[in-house]
Amino acid sequence: MIYATIDIGSTWTKGASFRLVGDRVRLERRAARPTTVANLSDAFFGVLSEIVAGDPLDQLRGGELRLRYSSSAKGGLAVAAIGLVPDVTLEIGKLAAQSAGARLSQVFSYRLTASDVAQLEKRQPDIVLLAGGTDGGNSDYVLANAAALAASRLDCDFVYAGNREVADEVAALLAGKRLKVVPNLLPDFNEPNPDPARDAIRSIFLDAIVKGKGLDVIMDATGSEPVPTPFAVLEYTRTIRELVPGWSEFLLLDMGGATTDVYSAHLDTPSSGVIRRGLPEPTVKRTVEGDLGMRVSAQAVCELGDTTLAATLEAHNVSKADLAAYAARVTAHPDSIPTGTEERRLDTLLAGLCVGHAVARHVGRMTSVYTPEGEVLVQTGRDLSKLPKVVGSGGWLAKAEGFSPGAWFDGHLIDQRGRSVLAPRNFAYYRDADYLFPLLANLARDIPAAAARAGIDFLVAQETRSEHATA
Amino acid sequence: MSETNVILGVIGSDCHAVGNKIIDTVLTGEGFRVTNLGVMVSQDEFIDAAIEVGAGAILVSSIYGHGEIDCAGFRGRCIERGLEDIVLYVGGNLVIGKRDFSEVETLFKDMGYDRVFPPTVDIKSVAQSLRQDIAARQ
Repeated sequence: MIYATIDIGSTWTKGASFRLVGDRVRLERRAARPTTVANLSDAFFGVLSEIVAGDPLDQLRGGELRLRYSSSAKGGLAVAAIGLVPDVTLEIGKLAAQSAGARLSQVFSYRLTASDVAQLEKRQPDIVLLAGGTDGGNSDYVLANAAALAASRLDCDFVYAGNREVADEVAALLAGKRLKVVPNLLPDFNEPNPDPARDAIRSIFLDAIVKGKGLDVIMDATGSEPVPTPFAVLEYTRTIRELVPGWSEFLLLDMGGATTDVYSAHLDTPSSGVIRRGLPEPTVKRTVEGDLGMRVSAQAVCELGDTTLAATLEAHNVSKADLAAYAARVTAHPDSIPTGTEERRLDTLLAGLCVGHAVARHVGRMTSVYTPEGEVLVQTGRDLSKLPKVVGSGGWLAKAEGFSPGAWFDGHLIDQRGRSVLAPRNFAYYRDADYLFPLLANLARDIPAAAARAGIDFLVAQETRSEHATA
Repeated sequence: MSETNVILGVIGSDCHAVGNKIIDTVLTGEGFRVTNLGVMVSQDEFIDAAIEVGAGAILVSSIYGHGEIDCAGFRGRCIERGLEDIVLYVGGNLVIGKRDFSEVETLFKDMGYDRVFPPTVDIKSVAQSLRQDIAARQ
């Protein structure tokens, strides 16, 4: 049996074929072509013909070939999340959107004002996620917000995942819109439930990417549906955690031109002397940073404007103007590749800043509080400081042989509020040198154990960091 | 708004967890829907939870003697964040030293708490006044 897997990215359509030998997979062929935006099926079938010998469609019908594919479609659908309290329902809404593979375009809390609605109409998100209130809890805000959305000119999909007591009223208010009502993402204050909202966003995502652009042609010809790439990678992270010995705890960086995605598999266990605050953390988590990327978002990186950026520039003896000029150049030409030492240096600097900031935002914080009973540590978010493994993927990191992410994590030891940043400190770094993770993620839907094993086997070990004491 | 939703927690840097669990158990048994935030809860965390669950009351515990500092300004913060009518209770070892309880009660009532309880209070009697106070505000 041959397994073909294709990932339709925003710039490249990549594919590979594998053969299952016993319980292991062997890489047969690889191919990549520029994504044909007007009709995605052109590049797709081009790549397919390169990775499969003979007539692929004939082999699919005959059952000798299995095909799975994913699409990143515009870097994920834009989701506007509306919650009640910023740290509560809005936070879970953001988590649901990001784990579905979406991009957060706007966030709102409490009551939507007329200018908030105007902002939404201006940006036209693909999906509006509306939440607020526990079941039986507050309903005033979601009802007011539903009424405001109903009166708006927004023509997009809506997902309601708020207080179920008023779900019918919300549905009646939004009767003129495309609305999916799902179970509350916070039915009880101490028990978040982001999965139904996540699944709704993913299925809307699928319906949307399939429309036009040639994906329907691919579906008809191959008889299978695509999955959103970030969703496939998140599930793949979970598969690796569950099926590969020694890989129950790791962090995966996927840095592209427009976003930096961070995935982590980690089970937070309570430790004595540490008090957890805030929402419980999922075991497998994805965060997407839309302002951190190597090309499209390069200029946003230069505008971070925090002390870490200033310190980094000083340490590397680079002026902000030089970095900004380089960022402007690569944003204008997203397919540019650095030439010469100076450009490579600036490119590495951009990558380091993206990686450092994205991981700092992904991980939790620890702060010590002095009480009459002595010192107590208060933790919010996930503690990845003892995580043993980090993987770099995405076009840039896949090729960056000498790159060491640990040095960039260390730019964020303490945050601006004086709290310890719980980023990995002593870890082995691996490179997804052939950029196979998104492709193997597709494969994992059919042969999870072999695909998870293969992802790890194909990694190139870079370095082990142990020079720093754990904070 | 459901009249039996209440928020419970130990304020400030206070880690005393046992009394908190007892109050939770008794009030739940009395028919309240208790959202228990546990120990080391900040004023804003109490308010965040109260808004989301549409709570009728916030019950603040303080055992370690620093209640006077931790609890000050809570009523004002509730009003600022839209909880004008919420019932506010406070109880525990609220101050350090041997101060007369009536003095302590006045101090905390002046801060805007509706009722103030010593550590020896019977939780069932608290439940009874809680029911009345929430009903009176609606």
